[in-house]
Amino acid sequence: MFDFELIFRILVFPGFTFILFLTFFCDWVERKFEARIQNRVGPMVAGPAGILQPIADFIKLLAKEDIEPRNIKKIVFRFAPLAAFAVMVFAMFFIPIDGASVLSTGGFNGDLIIILTFATIANFLLFLSGWASANPYGLIGSARVLTQFLGYDIPLFLLALTPAFLAGSLNIATIVGSQSVFPFILLAPWAFILFILTLQAELERDPFDVPHSESELVGGLETEYTGAKLAFLHLTRDVQLVFGSALVVTLFLGGPNGPVFFGLDWLFGSLWFVLKLLAVVLISEYITCVFARLRIDQVLTINWRILLPAALLSLVLIIALVTWVYPMFGV
Amino acid sequence: MTDTKTWARVKSPWVLHFNSGACNGCDIEIVALLTPKYDVERFGIKLEPSPRHADVLLVTGAVTHQCAERLKRIYDQMPQPKFVVAIGACACSGGVFEGTYNVVGSVDKVIPVDAYIPGCPARPEAIIDGVVKLLNAINPPKQKTKKQKEQPVVNAELEEVKPTNSVEEKKQDDKQQ
Repeated sequence: MFDFELIFRILVFPGFTFILFLTFFCDWVERKFEARIQNRVGPMVAGPAGILQPIADFIKLLAKEDIEPRNIKKIVFRFAPLAAFAVMVFAMFFIPIDGASVLSTGGFNGDLIIILTFATIANFLLFLSGWASANPYGLIGSARVLTQFLGYDIPLFLLALTPAFLAGSLNIATIVGSQSVFPFILLAPWAFILFILTLQAELERDPFDVPHSESELVGGLETEYTGAKLAFLHLTRDVQLVFGSALVVTLFLGGPNGPVFFGLDWLFGSLWFVLKLLAVVLISEYITCVFARLRIDQVLTINWRILLPAALLSLVLIIALVTWVYPMFGV
Repeated sequence: MTDTKTWARVKSPWVLHFNSGACNGCDIEIVALLTPKYDVERFGIKLEPSPRHADVLLVTGAVTHQCAERLKRIYDQMPQPKFVVAIGACACSGGVFEGTYNVVGSVDKVIPVDAYIPGCPARPEAIIDGVVKLLNAINPPKQKTKKQKEQPVVNAELEEVKPTNSVEEKKQDDKQQ
């Protein structure tokens, strides 16, 4: 028989619909915040204070003509943006938004690795979408996506292991559960800072936004895309931001843990989760606004010479702390 | 459904800026639109890098012979529905360059134009006014009668009526779709 609660969880809350609208909301928050930093007001006309702006953009792109240039790899060109979006949303399903993951299970040992792999696959699909578009700017943008990906992926995995060592498990549910008293940001603040910096590279935002640097590459890998495909490429980028922030919230800020009133676990759980997520989005957007863009060679230098040794050092430090220091304080 | 589509199109016009031989005066005014003082992101207007992403083509300057072919190609690369705004006296009519040996003339000799914004250079306020009037022509406010709906795009600064058919044609195209 159908499990209606599971279907509701997958399709509505905290599944697909919730994630979609959370993505639009985060996009709006990001644009408003960026505008305020630049002494502007940002979107104002679409809905109250422009809150419907991302939805208007999305619908408009869906309704536009879909041009397919000559010499493209048709199958990849058509399906890579959609597949990247699907993979990112599926990765979100493993993150406990309202106390349990979307599939309502406790996950399994190693699902942290799985969702990091999904993020990698989504990036690779974005690379493919640019590669298939038969446009020099798209090709250069895609090549830069891969080049940058070689630099940040290893530090990202190593830093994501820090909370796993603190919790003694690779299971996301266990990691969240063991943060009910101390969020891991208190136990390993340096790893939090490094993780946010590495995430900027993963999300291709300043100072690591070389893959789609507008002043050099037109639109990067999106250059040749129109209509619905462009809409899904934009949406994938926004879901990546939400996913990255959700990962930070889950690994370092205690996920949906927080004071619960009136016994409404799911409501306050998701409320704390979204509030923490917005805080991370604002930090990320602040970094994006304040920093200038690095060159591609500088990005690689920073990733390999600074981020990778720092991540290794952080891992060694956290293993030492978990083994000898934290047990003395009973953490 | 058509209402939603029109709403989305009016609320999120992404623009592409093309200089077809301008003296940079109008270009600076377009850049001024994006600055904090005028901030057209209020209306959802974003400056897009690629013609594939854009809805509105902002053309500045008289069209030179060299640029005419490129302008047409850029226009062809944009996905439907697309709109063209000619900004500045030169783009509207050729301006002081009309009749010179290297100039084709106004933008509408090469591609169909939906709105004309005169001025040398056109002020940012005039450009905003012109773009808003273009958007109103796509989606007229509901209290207007049907007669006023079919009014063509109004000249932004001089308040003259310049008959252009392309907006109406595009509306019909949308209905057919």
